[in-house]
Amino acid sequence: MELAEDLRSKFVSKAVRNVQRGYTEDDKSRGLFRPEVKLDIQRSRLMTESFKQTDGQAMVIRRAKALAHVLDNMGIFIRDWERIVGYQTSEPEGIYHPIDMNWKSVNRLVNSEAGKTLLNEAEKKELEEICEYWKGKSMSDRQQEMFSGDLAKYWKYEGTFLWTHWSELGIPDYETLLHEGLDARIKRAEERLEEIDKTIPRDYIDQKEFLQSVIIVLKAVINFSKRYAVLATDMAAVEKDPERKGRLEEIAHTCSWIPAHSPRSFLEAVQFFYFIHLIRYLEYSTLGIGLRLDYILGPYYEKDIQTGKLRKEEALETLQLLWVKFLELGLVYSPLVTSVYGGVASLQAITLGGRDKEGRDVTNDLTYLALETARTMRTIEPSIALRIHKDTPDELLSAAMDTIRTGIGYPSFFNDEALIPLLEKWGVPPEDAKMYGVSGCVYMEIPGKNITRRVLGYFVLAKCLWWALHQGINPKTGEQWGAKTPDPATFKSWEDVLEAYLTQVKFFTTKMTEVENTCRDLYAKYCPKPFYSAIVEGCIEQGKECKQWIYPSMVHDFAMVIAGTNVADSLTAIRKVVFEDKLVTLPELAAVMDKNWEGREDLRQACINAPKYGNDDDYADLIAREVHHRTEAVMETVKDRFGYGIRGDGSAVSATYGLAADTPATPDGRMDGGPFADSTLAPQPGMDKKGPTAVLNSCAKIDTLQTYNHLLNQKFLPQFLTDDMKPVFLGYLKTWRDKKISHIQFNVVDKHTLIAAQEYPEKYRDLIVRVAGFSAYFADLSKGLQDHIIARTEQSLS
Amino acid sequence: MNNHKGLIFDIQRFSIHDGPGIRTTVFMKGCPLRCLWCSNPESQDFFPNLMVRDINCKGCGACVNACPQGAITMTQAEGRKIEWSRCDQCLLCTGACIYHSLNRRGSYMEVPDIVQEIRKDEGFYRNSGGGVTVSGGEALWQSEIVAQLLAACKAEGMHTALDTTGHSSWEKLASVLNFTDLVLFDVKHLDSGAHRRATGVGNEQILENLVKAAKKKRIWIRMPLIAGFNDSEAHIQELTALAKRNGAEKISLLPYHEGGKAKSPQLGRIYPYPDAVAPAENHIHRLKDIMEKEGIVVSIGS
Ligand code: SF4
Ligand code: SF4
Repeated sequence: MELAEDLRSKFVSKAVRNVQRGYTEDDKSRGLFRPEVKLDIQRSRLMTESFKQTDGQAMVIRRAKALAHVLDNMGIFIRDWERIVGYQTSEPEGIYHPIDMNWKSVNRLVNSEAGKTLLNEAEKKELEEICEYWKGKSMSDRQQEMFSGDLAKYWKYEGTFLWTHWSELGIPDYETLLHEGLDARIKRAEERLEEIDKTIPRDYIDQKEFLQSVIIVLKAVINFSKRYAVLATDMAAVEKDPERKGRLEEIAHTCSWIPAHSPRSFLEAVQFFYFIHLIRYLEYSTLGIGLRLDYILGPYYEKDIQTGKLRKEEALETLQLLWVKFLELGLVYSPLVTSVYGGVASLQAITLGGRDKEGRDVTNDLTYLALETARTMRTIEPSIALRIHKDTPDELLSAAMDTIRTGIGYPSFFNDEALIPLLEKWGVPPEDAKMYGVSGCVYMEIPGKNITRRVLGYFVLAKCLWWALHQGINPKTGEQWGAKTPDPATFKSWEDVLEAYLTQVKFFTTKMTEVENTCRDLYAKYCPKPFYSAIVEGCIEQGKECKQWIYPSMVHDFAMVIAGTNVADSLTAIRKVVFEDKLVTLPELAAVMDKNWEGREDLRQACINAPKYGNDDDYADLIAREVHHRTEAVMETVKDRFGYGIRGDGSAVSATYGLAADTPATPDGRMDGGPFADSTLAPQPGMDKKGPTAVLNSCAKIDTLQTYNHLLNQKFLPQFLTDDMKPVFLGYLKTWRDKKISHIQFNVVDKHTLIAAQEYPEKYRDLIVRVAGFSAYFADLSKGLQDHIIARTEQSLS
Repeated sequence: MNNHKGLIFDIQRFSIHDGPGIRTTVFMKGCPLRCLWCSNPESQDFFPNLMVRDINCKGCGACVNACPQGAITMTQAEGRKIEWSRCDQCLLCTGACIYHSLNRRGSYMEVPDIVQEIRKDEGFYRNSGGGVTVSGGEALWQSEIVAQLLAACKAEGMHTALDTTGHSSWEKLASVLNFTDLVLFDVKHLDSGAHRRATGVGNEQILENLVKAAKKKRIWIRMPLIAGFNDSEAHIQELTALAKRNGAEKISLLPYHEGGKAKSPQLGRIYPYPDAVAPAENHIHRLKDIMEKEGIVVSIGS
């Protein structure tokens, strides 16, 4: 506990997590970066130096050499409390920008108000020179130059989908890596090289270049660790304080052994993992890298405990130090991506619990220690995904509840009972499906497999509905942007609207996928990843870089679908108001919406008063079911580069807020630019009036197997999470599991929300609180009672 | 009154303070007591009430013409206003307001419809050790319906609880107990005079029913805790003795809160107990200690 508090005061938080809204800057006053944070241009500088020297060589070799040059030369340091080392920049306050991806946005950023403190004048000048080199060579430039015609037209964000080219996920084969060490990998690559010299395969050149690049990077990774060993040895030699000296010697001991060899202790296993993790970020600036922490590191922990080498408290400290490392990783994204993810987040995810290949529950001591680490550190990274199944011990559920109570927002819960069958449906063999891990916020991956998990982008389903009500024509410009669907005047039922909507979904999924597939070809050609290829199963063995083949299944490519609830509620309102109550015709309704309901508040109320998804009412819920099932079915008909279907995913993070700004009014009563439901299974805010059990029942009507991995956020007052409420919470969670709902997160309504609700009752009209014995709208309560609830909320959180 | 239907003012799902686990609580409308501190004044009348939410009013004026009594006025100065003395609770205005500012509290439902609503959360009851609770108002004033309702729930294997003031004939209570697993028995004060002053009725029948009910069923005793009314150490000792004598499993103390204060004007009433307060935290803890020393399980607030 002491160490945790101490560490909390030391780590450098890179950004105020701050969700900006689309391109508008309504939160600008709060700033994006803390003033002491600096942009570190070292990676850009070293990459550029290397690239200038390797002109004319194969791209996979060039990228391997560039990464090696960075690892061999970047500034390194060890801070006096550290036992786990490694940093993505040469200074603790540094963040870096992936110049090889894009130079324009960093250029814009350092010259903007929000980023003006990031660089001094000399560095700005150097950055300009570096940018000069990347003109025409960064991945953004290459896309821009390559894309013309329709590709260029739909590549740009217009409000229906936000295509994103950065995110490439995938969980390395940590199990094997730790078991054998990187030397064994290098040896395997060398053996493969000898082998192809004998077999001379048709793609001999590609294989040879790839295998050579693997050897270059793996050797550089080992050397990177050795540099830390040397630094630690040097520092230890002059260190007077015996405790620090001991720590430094330990670092030297560790870093001279791993990652070339298999770790000899828990601490070495953690350091091994961390180097791999860090260097993945240095090779390719993605977000959301995952680890099944208890499953992978548990055996090392247990061995040390058995031999008496390690105490539980010490392991906890090691994890706390690792948490600091997670938190310190931070990149600068483009302003729009930043607005979507909120500040500088790396979205690293720890997976706990779940089953192993044989189906056994993996819960071990480390599972509990990781939760304890989260409770004591209370940091925004990493997020924790807890896999739940029939055999998950109650004790673990109870520890999870204690963690949620701290208000950090995780663990989030993943339902093995729903997700393992879903993975199998996507073509993942059962033994692999049981092994899934989570990366990013909520993506399932199969650790160790060649999954270059791609998020195509954010797909605003409500905008597709809006296009369906406008025949795909933008009413402002008259341009035919979406599919040409029939005139709404001809629609006879809500089902006709649904069909037109699905036509738009298919149209835009196709557009998005055309951009995606073309872009992936471009990435395969210009942005190979030799390091990542070296740490998953199958690339070295086949002599193939990871983008040249994929693990055969539909697990790879998806779009994050947004506002399915709003589509469903809109169709329900159309059914009720237009086709049943006949208050208005469909074209009239569309015209009223185009004017943002102006002068027709009565009509808007009628739409709001129509049944809504989330109240366990089949009238609305079955339409939601239809919307999700059919949307997924249509998306799957569009294929990725390797012929696998594109699919949806419910992991839209804070994007639901950011992207809602560009969807005009919708028939569910939503205003132009108004917020969407915040996750695929979530009811529209304020529209669920029957409490959390009704919400779960509504969710359960949408079949995970026929759709995708969903997300549901549930808000609770902390009074629900007190110790005497454990049977209730556990009962709720087990029912969630039994209903096979894929994924749930709990948000604890905090004191600040309540204070805001007291101050602005009109904004929080729907906030329901439960006072002992009765529930009420918070806004309706007397000031005295509100104060009482606020006081109690604070109390039960501490 | 309707013979085949129950008058209900709320069915609250995910009830977590009315017995063990996750429950659905059916609140029956109508109560013979008039507790000064009542936190659910909309539960008292034996007929549906008009309840207003001023915060929702958009001032559209649609309700003014809908009211046959001319009880609703619309002025620049005061906005939409109800002249409660003219209102005869016909509820016609509630249909006119699309903004949910004028709402009906209380509706008549048949037993199968109520059961259908309860059944929806069956999975939650099973996993949390929960079930159904019938509360009020005073549920026993609709004992026939309540007995039918609980019988139907029991037949489906659900755990059943009755939350009662105990103020009814023994026959009615007994008829419901046949289908009840747990009784949440409300006690307000052990002195009949004090009880009468605060609730309008004496407590003789209530205490007699408690003794009889405890012989047949598991009981939890619940008592609202109001500073200066029933929170003396002596009174708590008496309550503890009562609980022990009758084998109650638990005592719940429900510290007073202002729930009824905001609701009274929404029903056109004046709150009768403006200076009621909850005892201080440390006093509540002292009371809890007293009871726990006697070996009684105590919970505060639920
Ligand atoms: S309930 Fe009262 S206010 Fe409403 S219409 Fe009837 S008499 Fe008028
Ligand atoms: S109808 Fe409703 S919103 Fe309109 S004035 Fe009456 S109470 Fe207010």
